[in-house]
Amino acid sequence: MQRLEAPMRRHAPNEEVDYLIVGVGSAGGVLLQRLARAGFRVVGLEAGPFWDTERDWVSDEKGSHQLYWEDMRITGGENPLVFGANNSGKGVGGGSVHWAAFTPRFHPSDFEVYTRDGVGVDWPISYWDLKPYYELLELEMPVAGPAWYPWGDPHGYAYGAHPMGGVGNTLIRGCTKLGIPVSAGGPVAILSGSRNDRPHCIYRGFCIQGCKVGAKASTLITHVPDALRSGAEIRDCSMANRIHLGKDNRVTGVSYFDRAGREHFQKAKAVIVSGYAIETPRLLLNSACAGYENGLANSSDTVGRYLMAQAGTVVLGRFDELVRMYKAPPAHALTEEFYETDPKRDFARGFAIQTVGPLPIAFAKQMMAARGSWGWGMRRQMMDYNHWAALGLLGEILPWPENRVTLAEERDQWGIPVAHINFDLHENDKKLIEFARNKTEEVMRAAGATETAHEARYAHLVGAARMGEDPAKSVVDRYGRTHDIVNLFVCDGSVLPTQGSANPGLTIQALAARTADYLISQGTTVFSSDKRDLTPPPVRRELSPPGTHGKGVPRLG
Amino acid sequence: MKTDASTSKHGDRFPLDPRNGEPLAPRAQPGYYPGFSTLSQQSFWDAATREVVRKRIEEIPPLRFFTPNEVRLMEIVCEHLLPQDDRDVAHRIPILPFIDERLHDKRTPGYRFEVMPPDGAAYRLGLQAIEQMARTAHGRNFLDLSWREQDVLLKSIHDAEPLPGAEEIWARMPIHRYWGLVVQDCVEMYYAHPRAWDEIGFGGPAYPRAYMRLERGEAEPWEVEEKRYEWRAPNDAVSDPSVEEIAAHKEHPPAGQGGTH
Repeated sequence: MQRLEAPMRRHAPNEEVDYLIVGVGSAGGVLLQRLARAGFRVVGLEAGPFWDTERDWVSDEKGSHQLYWEDMRITGGENPLVFGANNSGKGVGGGSVHWAAFTPRFHPSDFEVYTRDGVGVDWPISYWDLKPYYELLELEMPVAGPAWYPWGDPHGYAYGAHPMGGVGNTLIRGCTKLGIPVSAGGPVAILSGSRNDRPHCIYRGFCIQGCKVGAKASTLITHVPDALRSGAEIRDCSMANRIHLGKDNRVTGVSYFDRAGREHFQKAKAVIVSGYAIETPRLLLNSACAGYENGLANSSDTVGRYLMAQAGTVVLGRFDELVRMYKAPPAHALTEEFYETDPKRDFARGFAIQTVGPLPIAFAKQMMAARGSWGWGMRRQMMDYNHWAALGLLGEILPWPENRVTLAEERDQWGIPVAHINFDLHENDKKLIEFARNKTEEVMRAAGATETAHEARYAHLVGAARMGEDPAKSVVDRYGRTHDIVNLFVCDGSVLPTQGSANPGLTIQALAARTADYLISQGTTVFSSDKRDLTPPPVRRELSPPGTHGKGVPRLG
Repeated sequence: MKTDASTSKHGDRFPLDPRNGEPLAPRAQPGYYPGFSTLSQQSFWDAATREVVRKRIEEIPPLRFFTPNEVRLMEIVCEHLLPQDDRDVAHRIPILPFIDERLHDKRTPGYRFEVMPPDGAAYRLGLQAIEQMARTAHGRNFLDLSWREQDVLLKSIHDAEPLPGAEEIWARMPIHRYWGLVVQDCVEMYYAHPRAWDEIGFGGPAYPRAYMRLERGEAEPWEVEEKRYEWRAPNDAVSDPSVEEIAAHKEHPPAGQGGTH
C-alpha cells in the first residue's frame, strides 16, 4: 500500500521557476527528482491526476480507463495505430503506471543501425554513453531478473527473478524445446522481494491496471516522493497548451489549463517537454509563432516525424491443460535470441519474444481480431480462457518521415487541436513481422499448443522529436536540447532516433537521468547564456533516491 | 425447460445438448466452473475494487443516448453479438445500458480511426444500415425478421460482405471498423461482470490477498476445478463456426485494443 505523505512546496503564482517540466511520466518523474535534489526550483505540469493509489486504483479492467490517455486522437494511414490503454498514460507516473514493466536494455547495435545495416539512422550517442544510467536506473526502480543475461552487452540483475506463472512456463518450455535461450522471471521492474517501504509482488496479474501493491515501479512511487521531499512542485490536472517564446529566441514559460478550465501562465527560465511521443510534438506544433510558423523548435521540419511503434503481434495458443494466464505479471519471461540483424534473413534488424497475459476483456478483443469471434463463438472461446497462453513478439519498426503526428482541425475539450497520427508499414517492417510471427508460433507449438491464432498489433510509441547531430535533420541534440532554442528541451520517448526491439521504458528513464546530469553540470548557464557545451557530464550516483545504494542493497561485482 | 424454449417468438435460440439434440436448460451460471463465485471472495478485496464492482452490479445506468427506436434495435443486436439464452433471466448481464452510458458521456477509447465518424454517430449509422439491409433483403423491418434471418444479416457485416441495401452507408463507414467497434463494446461490458468471471473461471481481483498457486494452471483453494460439458450453438445461430471456418478467418487491420506489453 502506497501513501504519499510528503507536504508539497507551492511556488507563488508569479514566481519564475528554473525548470518547468511538461508531463510527469517516466522521464518527467526522473527529471523532476534529479533537478530538485540538485537544488533547482522546479515545477511539473501533469495533465492527469496525482493518484492516491489505494483510493483511485482497482483490480479491474473496465474500472481502470482513467489511467490511460483517452482524450481524442485521430489515427490514420495504411496501418493505423491505436492509443489509449494500448500505449498512453495520463496522471502522475504517466505510462509507467500502466506499463507491464519489462525493462531490457537496448543493445549496442541499436545505437548505430545505419552504420551496421544501412537502415534508419545512428544515434548521436552510443550504448556506452548510456550504460552507466542503465545500471543506475536498474537499481533505482529496481529491476528483478536473472543473474546472467546473455544478450546485447551481457549483464546480470541484482534483484532476484520472479517465480514462474503459466505463461512464463509456456515460453520457457517452447524455447527450450527448440534450443533457444530464454530469460525467466525478468528483467522486469517489479519487486520480487520487499525493498524500503515497498512490498514485493503478490502475482495478482493486474500490472497494466496500475500496481496497487506498490511492487511494480512507476515514477509515482520511485522518484516523485523524493522529488517532493526535495522541494519540487507538481501541478496535476494541468493541461499545457502553449509554450511561449520571448525576446532573444528564448522561451519564457508555458500556459496551461487547470482542472476548472482556467488558463494560467507559468514563467520559467527553461522548459523541458516530457509529454511522450504524441503530446510532445502536439505541444510544439501548437506553439507555432512568428519565427516558428511550422511549430516551435521545428526549423528542421522533423517535429512529429519519424514516429515509431514496435510490432507487437500477439500469438495465442490453446493447451489441453489449464494455464490460467491471469496469474503472475504479464511481463515475465522473454528471449532476445533474434534481436540482431541476421544476414540469412531477408530483412534488417530483429525482434524479441515476450510473455503477454491478457485479462478477460483484452483476451476477448484479441479473439475478435484473431478469429473473428462473436456471438456463441465468442462465448465458447471465452469459456476456454483458462486453456490459453499468449506470447507477443516485439519487433523493430524503422523510422520513416511520413509516420508522423500533425494537428487536426478537430479540437479537444480545452479547444486545443487534437493530434492526427499517420502510420504505414514499409517492406522491411512487413518482412520482419511475418518472420517473427512465424517464429513465435513455432515456439508456441513447441510448448505444446494444439491451436494457435494471432492478432496483429503495435506496442509503445517513440520518436517524433528525434535527437541527432545535424540540426537540419533532428529536433534535439544528444542531451535533449532543441537545436533551435537554447532553453527549450525535450526529454521522453520522442527523442529516440530508432527503437530496437526492447521495451523503451528503461531507456527513457536512463536518458532522463543523463539529461538531468547534463543540466546540473551546466549550472545556470542554460538560463542566461547561448553557449552550447557538449562536454559529457559526470555520472551523479549520489542523486539517486534514498535506499538505492548502500547497506542491504545488492551490488554486482 | 420446455416453457421458455417453446414460447420464444424467435424459435430455437437455446444451446443444445449434442448427445440428443435437446435444448439445454438455462442456468444461473453457464460455463465449466460450477459453484465458482468471485463475489464470494470480495471480503478479501480492497474497498475501492469492491465499490467499483458493486456499482456495476447494482447501479445500471439509465438509457440516455439511444432513442427508444434505437434501443429496441440495439437490444436485439446485443443479444446476437453476445447471446445469453443459456443464462436464466435473473442472471443475465446488462450490456446496452453501459454502451449507452459510454456514448452519452462521450467517453472514447483514446482514438478514432480517421475513416470513421465519431463513435455515437457510427452506432446510429450502423443501425440505419441494419434496418435498410433488412428492408432490401427481406422487405421487412429488422425486428420482424426471424432470429436466424437476423443472425445471418449480422454475420454478413461480420464477414464484410453485407446484404444489399446500405451501400451508401458502408461507403462512408468501413464495415469492419463498425463491426469491431460494436463487438469490442459488447465484450467489454459482458466480461466486466463478475458473473462472466465465474463463467470462464477467471479468479478476479486478488489484492491484497494475492494468488499463491502460479504454476500448471493450479486452482487457488477458493477457485474450483474445471468441469467441461459439451454444447452446440442453437440451431438458429450462425455465430459459432467450425474449426475449419475459424482457420479460414480473414485477418482485418488490427484493432489492437488489449494493451499488453
